Amino acid sequence: MSRWGRFLIATLCGLVLAAGTHIVVIFASPFMAERDAFDRLRATLDADKAQVIAGLGGTGTWLPQPDPAVALAACAFNLANGPARILMKTTPLFESLSFHAKATGVFYAVTDRAAVRDQLDIVVMTPRQLDEARAAEDDAEPVGQQEVRIVAPENQGFVIVRTVSPTPSQNAAAESAAGSVSCTIDEEG
Amino acid sequence: MNAQSRTVEAAASTPVASPLRPRRRGLLDRLFSPFTMTVYALALGLGLGLGSAYEVMRGEYPFGAARIGPWHTWPDLGSGRADPYARAILAKRGDIPLALGEGLALRATQDSKGQPLDAACTYRIGALMPPTRLWTLAAYDGAGQPVQSELRRSGFTSAELLRNPDDTFAVVLSPLLQPGNWLKLPGSGPFTLSLRLYDMPGVAGAWKLGAEAMPSIERLECGA
Repeated sequence: MSRWGRFLIATLCGLVLAAGTHIVVIFASPFMAERDAFDRLRATLDADKAQVIAGLGGTGTWLPQPDPAVALAACAFNLANGPARILMKTTPLFESLSFHAKATGVFYAVTDRAAVRDQLDIVVMTPRQLDEARAAEDDAEPVGQQEVRIVAPENQGFVIVRTVSPTPSQNAAAESAAGSVSCTIDEEG
Repeated sequence: MNAQSRTVEAAASTPVASPLRPRRRGLLDRLFSPFTMTVYALALGLGLGLGSAYEVMRGEYPFGAARIGPWHTWPDLGSGRADPYARAILAKRGDIPLALGEGLALRATQDSKGQPLDAACTYRIGALMPPTRLWTLAAYDGAGQPVQSELRRSGFTSAELLRNPDDTFAVVLSPLLQPGNWLKLPGSGPFTLSLRLYDMPGVAGAWKLGAEAMPSIERLECGA
């Protein structure tokens, strides 16, 4: 084979390898990332209450471009430890919950408008845990009528609480509302 | 050093040249030997692949942007249908997008005429907003931090806004004192605006709204 033929083939192989590397890096990076939101929230895995990670004013947080009028609290969950139960009591302020999986992003969101009797009770489960919960239910005595069950696409993820403070005088109320959302691990029945 | 010794090995395996008589192989032959070509292909592949992936992840989300007047949004980010590039960029930034169920987040880096936003200029934002329960408007400096001033204000919420009798509004962004809803700009450098429409009805089709349904960003004057 001539030199230039060899060079051409090497270049083509290089380009194919480049495309493959590019695709692998892009697909793998959400799983490999060490500074993504889930990893920064890892400390909240064991907390019983959502932790405020971006307070009002939007300063002193790692979150890029935080809304200065929003108190943002978070708690991470790992469904391998059991279903995650999120309990939010409504306040007069706007408050929303969003559910994010580590690699695949948002999978559910709800605002305080969906609250039943002034509270939102949401259980995040794996498909298997949902089956078990259904099997354990007693038809004669239904439990958890007010809880909303959602299936997460991955075991690892986090819940974000956003409370909007419409005026600065409500800042303290907004931060305490965001931080009072409880996240607990349901015992497996 | 290792590369050199491997070249010698490769040369030894061909009958023509042996390590004892290296001068019979020209420079070009050595340059285009199977070994150097393999190294070249590997280096090209890894360098180009990693470099292009890194470059893409440093930039904006490449696909799925929707534009409404000066505002743009990435609706797929908040709906769980984000493409692999968006997921990679999200993971790199450590960002947490607003879910569509919570509302719609829009950004602007240019005014309504397409000029980049400059903190030395005066802008008027108004006069209408799509129907929503609550909205917030915030300005960020070039580093992505909310703009700071002695007034301790980096944005407005719909609740604290002064409105005209016909329910229109105008927010004026300027480094100089302005009447009405004044948001003080730092006076130099680029800035960006974020508009967040919380609990917006019909959010799933909201980015199909026309530009007239959204507030415009009008540049009034520049320089002091």
